[in-house]
Amino acid sequence: MVNDKSSSSRRMGGNKKTAEVTRRGFFGKTIAAIMGLIGFGLGIPLFGYAVLPTLKKREEPWSEVGPLELIELNRPKELEVVRSSSSGWMKSNTVRSFWAYKKPDGEVVAFSPICTHLGCGYRWSDADQQFLCPCHNSVFDLEGKVLAGPAPRPLDTLPTKIEGDRLFILYQEFKAGLPKKEAI
Amino acid sequence: MNRLFSWLSDRLKLPPILHHLLDEAIPGGASWIYIFGSVTLFLFLLQATTGTFLALYYAPTPDHAYESVKFIQEEVPFGGFVRGLHHWGASAMMAAIGLHMLQVFLYGAYKPPREPMWIVGVFLLILTLTFGFTGYLLPWDQKAYWATQVGINLVGSVPWIGGTLARILRGGAELGALTLSRFFAIHTLFLPWLIMFLIAGHLFILRRVGPAGPWDKARAKRISEPFYPKQVFMDAVAMGAVFLALVVLVNLFPAHLGDPADPTDTTFRPVPEWYYLFYYQLLKYSEGPWEPVVTFVLPVLFFAILFAIPFLGRKRERSPARRPIAIGAGALFLVFVFTLLGLAMKETAALKKTDPAVERGRAIYAKLACAGCHRIHGQGAQVGPDLSFVGDARDRDWLIAHFKDPQALVPGSIMPPTRLPEPELEDLTRYMLSLKKG
Repeated sequence: MVNDKSSSSRRMGGNKKTAEVTRRGFFGKTIAAIMGLIGFGLGIPLFGYAVLPTLKKREEPWSEVGPLELIELNRPKELEVVRSSSSGWMKSNTVRSFWAYKKPDGEVVAFSPICTHLGCGYRWSDADQQFLCPCHNSVFDLEGKVLAGPAPRPLDTLPTKIEGDRLFILYQEFKAGLPKKEAI
Repeated sequence: MNRLFSWLSDRLKLPPILHHLLDEAIPGGASWIYIFGSVTLFLFLLQATTGTFLALYYAPTPDHAYESVKFIQEEVPFGGFVRGLHHWGASAMMAAIGLHMLQVFLYGAYKPPREPMWIVGVFLLILTLTFGFTGYLLPWDQKAYWATQVGINLVGSVPWIGGTLARILRGGAELGALTLSRFFAIHTLFLPWLIMFLIAGHLFILRRVGPAGPWDKARAKRISEPFYPKQVFMDAVAMGAVFLALVVLVNLFPAHLGDPADPTDTTFRPVPEWYYLFYYQLLKYSEGPWEPVVTFVLPVLFFAILFAIPFLGRKRERSPARRPIAIGAGALFLVFVFTLLGLAMKETAALKKTDPAVERGRAIYAKLACAGCHRIHGQGAQVGPDLSFVGDARDRDWLIAHFKDPQALVPGSIMPPTRLPEPELEDLTRYMLSLKKG
């Protein structure tokens, strides 16, 4: 059997091809293999466990707004919608608003309630027939096109769909201040 | 790899540390009998790792604890695996500690100069049992709630100070939000620091006094072998085997999550984890004046004896053959524990024989969303009659006739007819009939 001192000196420098060395080699490799097996057997699941749920694309649900009668012809109204969102095991409802009107051909136009300039809330003015954003004087027409002010792009439209006589909306938020519409 | 190692080694002067860590002399040579300490340490590290990851998705409040555990178990990728490892790892750790202590006892390894190591070891056992007790509540399902209720009430039955102790444990007068957050904090913050400190102490003492080796001194002196490679190899094989066994267990028997905790459901019968089961059985036999003896005197006596073991015999003799009293007492204790454990398992096996038809009926009840109108033990809406004890009120024929045509039996009832094939109707009826008092 090996005593304490000779074994350590062998590990540090000696490369004598003795039976003792290959035995050490076998033990060392087996230990490394088992540790590697445990490491991967634990490491891969733990990585998936911690990371995979964070990569899951959020699926925005269609939210029901209410009956179509709420919407008027060529006259935008601010409507509220209850949007259900979930985070892990928690499901919660949040209320959001948006602007909507009906075109003469029956198509529903819906705008995100956030000004594309810096994210303020804007209003529809019946007198001017324009959307006015009070903070920095951006002005948009009925189609959402920029008429004046610093707004870098037209108002952001939201997808809508009609089932029977009910209006549904896919509520989204977009980054402010950019010339292109980009979802958050 | 080798170049990186020599680069680091040049700078950090690793060889002396490696020498110190790995070349410790094992008197009598490496042996499979020495693996239990390493396996226990490995299981502790596994519990620490899986527990840390479980905390990523766990919420320690009564309104979210159960849902968050369900989320881990059912929706997070590998969630069932991580929770299962933590669940089975706890049991495995208890078993490993039991075997470790048995080996130390058999070899007389607690004798001088290793008394401090034994004492720290008993503290480690107590800490592990506390981990088990505090972790049990966290899923906040029926079993967790009621088992903890029983556990705290046991503490409450301690003479004089029991009531106060129970309140401190609960964080107040009743088992609720404060209990859960308190158990969570103890389980994940207080105990881990404490146990790491004590494990370090346990290992420090081991290195100061050295391993005990075989009881035959001549043999211990004749052969000596360094810790690396053979003992490390044996430890690694044992750890690998334990890990594989746990993975198999987790896949065959996933960690259970019962119904959410329901303080109003008094029909639930809590059965503790197997490592408390022998004690649970003992409690069944203790009535009247015997109760404080079993709930209080015996546990205190047990741990007092455990602490005192290194000081009970004066002789330094370690051979089991020459320690008849110690070995006899130890064997007697084991026979006692395993008899109780056997009895308890026999009784709980008899208890669990629920009719599979009742289980199928319960599933149909859930599938048809009957809880949308009816209430059973506090779960469900209160539109229709409460069905908690419907088995006492109605018989089989009435129930089947009523399922087919409710209005014929209860005029004006708003219950829709249940269109089910005969066998399913039978199962649902069996479930209804099982809902009885007592």
